[in-house]
Amino acid sequence: MIDLALITSAAPQLLRGVLVTLQIAFCGSLLGFFGGTLLGIAQTGSSKLLRFLVTMYVTIIRGTPMLLQIMFFFLMLPNLGIHIAPLPTAIIAIGLNSSAYISQIVRSGITSVSQGQIEAATTLGLSRYDITRYIVLPQALRIVLPALGNEFITLIKDSSLASTIGVLELYKRGEIFVSQSYNALGVYTLVGLLYLLITSVVSLLFLKLEHSYRKKHARN
Amino acid sequence: MLEIKKLTKCFGSQKILNEITLAVKPGEIAFLLGPSGVGKSTLLRVLNNLETIDEGTLLLDGAPLKPHDVGMVFQQFNLFDHMTVETNITFSLIKAAGKTPQEAQLIAHDLLTRYGLSDKALLYPSHLSGGQKQRLAIARSLAMKPRVICLDEPTSALDPMLTNYVAQTIQDLAKDGYVVLVASHDIGLLNKLGCTIYLMKTKGEIAQIAKSSDFEKNPANYPLIKKFIEGHQE
Repeated sequence: MIDLALITSAAPQLLRGVLVTLQIAFCGSLLGFFGGTLLGIAQTGSSKLLRFLVTMYVTIIRGTPMLLQIMFFFLMLPNLGIHIAPLPTAIIAIGLNSSAYISQIVRSGITSVSQGQIEAATTLGLSRYDITRYIVLPQALRIVLPALGNEFITLIKDSSLASTIGVLELYKRGEIFVSQSYNALGVYTLVGLLYLLITSVVSLLFLKLEHSYRKKHARN
Repeated sequence: MLEIKKLTKCFGSQKILNEITLAVKPGEIAFLLGPSGVGKSTLLRVLNNLETIDEGTLLLDGAPLKPHDVGMVFQQFNLFDHMTVETNITFSLIKAAGKTPQEAQLIAHDLLTRYGLSDKALLYPSHLSGGQKQRLAIARSLAMKPRVICLDEPTSALDPMLTNYVAQTIQDLAKDGYVVLVASHDIGLLNKLGCTIYLMKTKGEIAQIAKSSDFEKNPANYPLIKKFIEGHQE
C-alpha cells in the first residue's frame, strides 16, 4: 500500500499541499478567532440590534453546509466585482464559517466569568472597554481554551473543502497524485497521515497552553 | 461626612430599602446588622454605584457622592485571578486613575508592605490564603483613594479564627480617617468593633441605632438589637 518509492515520489507534491493547508488553517483561524471574538462580545452586549444580527449570522452559517458557503463565496464575489483567487476566497469562507462557531464558544466563556469580576472592576472605576478587554476576555478565553482547540482542529480538516474550488491544498494534491500513480489507497493513506500529524501538533500545542495556564494559577 | 437621606430602592414592586437615613463621620464605623435579605448588601451596592436608587440623596461633605469616593471589599473578594497580586492593584491605577506604571508600582509596593503581602507581589491570587486575599482586596480598594470603604460580610469567607484580625483591620481603616460601612450578621465581629450599630429589619428599614459602647453598658435600652444578637448567639 505505502512503500518508500511512493513516499519519495509523492512527498514534493503533498508537502506543497501541506503548506497551502497550513496557510488556510492559519489565516482562517485568525479570521475566525478575531471575528468570532467580536461577534461573541456583541452577542453578550446590551444592543438588541447587534444581538439579533449576530444570532441571524450564526443561524445562517450553522444551518448551511460549509461546502455550499465556499461555493457561494466563489460564485458571489466576482458578481460583486471582487475578483480574488480561489485561495483567499476559501480562507474568507472558512474563516467566516469558523467565526460563527467561535462566537458561540466565546459567548459561553464570557457568560461563565463571574459577575463579581465585572462589579469589582466597576467599583475600581474601569471603563466598559477596559473591563471587557482586560478583565472578562482573558478569563473567558482561558475557560474556553479546550473548545477553541477543537474548533481549530475542525478547521484544519475542513480546509480540504477548499479543493472544490480548485485550491491545491493537501487533499487536492493527493487527488492529483492518485491520477498519476494509480495507487489511490496508498496516496490517500499518506494524505490522512499528514492531516493527522498537523492536527496532533496543534492538539499538543493547545494541551501545553492549557497546562501552562493551570500551572500558573494552581494553588501551592 | 457621608449622609444617606431617605434612600429608597425597589426591585420590581418590592421595596428593598425603605427611606434609609444615616450619617457616618470620617473615622466612624457603621455596622449594618441584620438577617440575610434585609438590604444590607444592597445599601453598600447602591453606595458603590452597582445599583441605581429610586429615591433619596447620597452626600459626602454636602456634595453628591461620586463613584470614585467609595471603595468596596466584596464578600468573595472578587480579585482578578488572571493578574498577579501586584497587577491587581496597579491595573486600575494605570487604567482608571491615569498613573504611570512606575507611580502605580510605588503605590502598590507601599500598600502591599502595609498589608504584609510584599513577598507575594508576583504570585497569583490563587496562591493566597483567605485572609491574604481579603487584605489584597482592601489594598486594591484603598489604592484608588476612596474616602468611604464598604465591607460586605468581611468574615463570611474566612476562618472564624481570623475575626480578630479582620476587626483590627477595620478599626485601622477608621483610625486612618475613612468612613467605614460594614454589612454583616457576624456577632463575633460586632463584639470586637467600636462602632455604631444600625439594625436593619425586613422591608429594608433601620429598626434601631446604638453606639456599641452604649449597647454594651445598657443592652436593655436596645431591645431589638439585644433580641437579634441573642437569637444569633443561641
